[in-house]
Amino acid sequence: MRQPLSVTCLGLGLLLAACGGSSTTPGSAAPITIGVSVSLSGDFSGDGKALEQGYDLWAQDINKNGGLLGHKVTMKYVDDASSTQQVVTNYQTLITQDKVALVFGPFSSLLTIPASTVTDRYGYAFPEPAGGGPKVFTRGLHSIFFVQPAAVEDNLVSYTKWLLSLPSGQKPKSAAYATQDDPFTQPQVDKAKALLEAGGVTTASYKVYPAETTDFTPLALQVVHANADVVVLGTQEPDAVAFVKAFQQQHYNPKSLIETTGPDQGKDFADKVGAGNTEGIMVPAGWTPDAKAYGNDKFVSEFVAKYGGAPGDISADAAEAYSVGQVVDQASKKANSIENKALITALHSGTYNTVQGPMSFDSSGKPQGGVGVYIEQWQGGAAKFVYPTSVAAAKPEYPKPNWP
Amino acid sequence: MRGNFLPRVRWRVGRGPLKLVGLLGLAIAALLLPFVAPDPATTNIAVFTVMYIGLATAWNIMGGYTGYISLGHAAFFGFGAYGLGLMLVHLNITPGYAPFVLVPVAGLLSALLAVGIGWIALRTRAATFVIVTIAFMFMMQLLAENLVKVTGGGGGLGLPYSHDWGGDFFNTPYYYAMLLLAVLGLFVSWWIRRSKFGLGLLAIRDDEDKALAVGVPTRAFKLTAFVISAALVGMIGGVYAYYVTYIYPQFVFDPLIGISMVLMAFLGGLGTLSGPVIGAVLLEPAQLEFAYRLGASRLYLVFYSAVFLLVILLLPRGIVPSAAELLNRRRARTVVS
Amino acid sequence: MTLVLEAAALGILTGGVYALMASGLTLIFGVMRIINVGQGALVILGAYLSFAFFRSWHLDPLLTLVITMPLMFGLGVILQIVFIRPLKTDREALSVLVTYALALGIEGALGYVFTTNYVQLRAWYETASFAVFGFHITYVYVFGFLLCIAILGALFLVLYRTSFGGALRATMLNRTAAQLIGVDVDRVSAIAFGIGVATAAAGGVVFGITNAFNPGSHYDLISRLLTIIVLGGLGSLRGAIIAALIMLVTEDITAVVISPVWATFVFFVILVVVLIFRPQGLFGVRVRDRI
Repeated sequence: MRQPLSVTCLGLGLLLAACGGSSTTPGSAAPITIGVSVSLSGDFSGDGKALEQGYDLWAQDINKNGGLLGHKVTMKYVDDASSTQQVVTNYQTLITQDKVALVFGPFSSLLTIPASTVTDRYGYAFPEPAGGGPKVFTRGLHSIFFVQPAAVEDNLVSYTKWLLSLPSGQKPKSAAYATQDDPFTQPQVDKAKALLEAGGVTTASYKVYPAETTDFTPLALQVVHANADVVVLGTQEPDAVAFVKAFQQQHYNPKSLIETTGPDQGKDFADKVGAGNTEGIMVPAGWTPDAKAYGNDKFVSEFVAKYGGAPGDISADAAEAYSVGQVVDQASKKANSIENKALITALHSGTYNTVQGPMSFDSSGKPQGGVGVYIEQWQGGAAKFVYPTSVAAAKPEYPKPNWP
Repeated sequence: MRGNFLPRVRWRVGRGPLKLVGLLGLAIAALLLPFVAPDPATTNIAVFTVMYIGLATAWNIMGGYTGYISLGHAAFFGFGAYGLGLMLVHLNITPGYAPFVLVPVAGLLSALLAVGIGWIALRTRAATFVIVTIAFMFMMQLLAENLVKVTGGGGGLGLPYSHDWGGDFFNTPYYYAMLLLAVLGLFVSWWIRRSKFGLGLLAIRDDEDKALAVGVPTRAFKLTAFVISAALVGMIGGVYAYYVTYIYPQFVFDPLIGISMVLMAFLGGLGTLSGPVIGAVLLEPAQLEFAYRLGASRLYLVFYSAVFLLVILLLPRGIVPSAAELLNRRRARTVVS
Repeated sequence: MTLVLEAAALGILTGGVYALMASGLTLIFGVMRIINVGQGALVILGAYLSFAFFRSWHLDPLLTLVITMPLMFGLGVILQIVFIRPLKTDREALSVLVTYALALGIEGALGYVFTTNYVQLRAWYETASFAVFGFHITYVYVFGFLLCIAILGALFLVLYRTSFGGALRATMLNRTAAQLIGVDVDRVSAIAFGIGVATAAAGGVVFGITNAFNPGSHYDLISRLLTIIVLGGLGSLRGAIIAALIMLVTEDITAVVISPVWATFVFFVILVVVLIFRPQGLFGVRVRDRI
């Protein structure tokens, strides 16, 4: 099928292979399986589909290029049923019984930590797209690699930079914060709060709420009553939607609204809040379909060809998963091996190019020297990069327009 | 309601020697397992299976003997898990074998908690008791989440673990620790069943008001059974936390852990000694395997639920009582002929 | 202060939805002495049914009730006949397990059909609001509350004004005696289960408009519903309604006055304190023992 594309990837692959000094003939080595645990049932089940799609697309690409260092790749997914027992069982079974050659990180960010101690025990490299909270990097492991442009706690840093760079007449005076009590949202909001306070933005309200909350309206009410210029929310998708609705119900229009997760889910988010209501909402994002990062245009066009939809509908999760594959691919070429030990050594040095931009990893697996996380804003029915200016596809709308 | 309790005991005594040999065989098999099947995938499933043997047995001491169905025993599981975890972190215990020594302390903590919870919860009966235990379980979960300074909150708590134990050996110490606790639970359960205390508990199950009328100190008995049961569950929770190395409030104060142990005791046979063991041995590996093999097809839950329903509807009294009944009937027939 | 008043008002409005969901649960307990742990999953199933009609036929979510409630009623009757009726011994405990297994089955089936992605029902009244003393009340809460009053009212009428209601209340009071005076207890039980499940459909619609949900959402829901009916007194419809209001008002006020993380905890404390003094709950009848 789409001959020109695969020819270009082949070219790229060969080029990289040449740089790495690889001498393997494509397709000559034994086929391998890569194992992943996803949460398809249970209390914390979420849509791991995007993650699977990202991994699958990468596997398809790599096989088209003759495989991972010549090894044809098959992905194997198992359900962790949202439980620690299961995730621990899954990775042990994948590694010791099914003898998978490599493992990739799970969908559930919480379960990444228990999983990482298991994979570490078997000397497996653990590149993962989801678990980037501060505690992931304090377990003393050298085999985990968080494949996103920055540690999660830094996600809102560029947002704060943008706010503080606004001309003095426009610069917000106060901010209201609410965040889920979740190791992957709260650190972001806490850091943003510290930075904004240091920059002279007073805190009008700060609330932490449990992940199990089903009724967000009283929380939203407090934010509304704080009547701050800026609202920073540490959300997952359901609460991201609920807050937007509650603000509309209360006719509350902050000058700027950013949510950590939710607005990055493309069409899925627009469907839930209503396309007309998305205007001006911001979200930190390490990836966007029109970013000029390594292999991104190919990723986007292939994704749309394989799964349908529009580029704007692609979830960042898919791009993050795809990046995991890209990183491993380059590491294997650099090490000229798909042995985990060699991969771990390789991953600790050098820079890796992904659809999320270039990144490297420190000894604890934290991404370093990456471009950091950008800000996206919904404008005219699609999320666009608006900051930093170097990558921006549009100017940020400030203040955010009122609800329709 | 359970008038056939006495004849069953007589039957058991009659089969004494045969049972002893069988038990010995089982014990040897259990002890040798890590040598016969050293594959970590297998020993890992063994750790969780033996864990649930212990949990179901411990739960049965309360639920099976007194008829008070607690769906919130995960409160003690989680308390033991956090108890041990916090001790390891704050006392700077070197990982390795030393943490196992602290497991009884985690059990003691859970026992203390059980005194408090039991004092209130045991004022209620039947269905109300069931739900109150769930409520207490959620209260503990919320405390673990909200007392961030103590527990680390929703961010979870990391336990130190031995980096010297390689993947091939790692599961073995945990397996034996779980096995020891399961055997302890079985021994306590067996001892209670033969004791006057145990008879009192069974009397409570059959008719609490009558039991009280004939002089059984029902309140004290119920609370004692509750506390013993909780202490065992707490110790198991401690070993579990040390095994998985990282715990979150919602994953140890997990209603599903609470309901799993109940289910296993029911499946095997409520109030029997071997029932919870059989239930756990059948259910836990099946669940872990189902999720692993069928998970990706998204049909794992449907399948699991179907098996689950079938078992309950076909064997409502559990495997052990149903099998015993069948055997009894056959024996009766041979006697007649 | 206005914030507290607003939170209380909101608690009352959302409390109505929980009252609706819990009423089915307590009715089923009252008639059959079983705890339907699957009620949460049935609420989510109801929400997904409405979602299916909403998605394919673009029906207004509340209007879909005309189809989903009879469907869910039928489902409830079938579930009762197939899974609950065969339980002869240990009904109370076994029913917990059976209904839990049903919940898992429903969750699994929903995950298979709809995936585990979060969805939400949408309607014009979800964000539209009107102002009362500067406080914006959203139509969806008002509609939900009215729906709850209508359905609960109908339930009371059936219970106290029809011969079926008489039979049902007789069964609630004493199953054996009801049988003796000629009540077809099996039939009454099946219909009561059907009604309980149908109210889950109604609760599910409102829940689905106000919350994003996925098949796993039933875990958080059922724990809340169970504590509501215990506080109210098992089997008491009035108790369930009042307890639902107490729960939501307490939680919403705690959320704004203290912190959202303590909201549910404070409710549990109230529950425990009530149970210390009234082990049978607010409106429960003290059961001597299991029959």
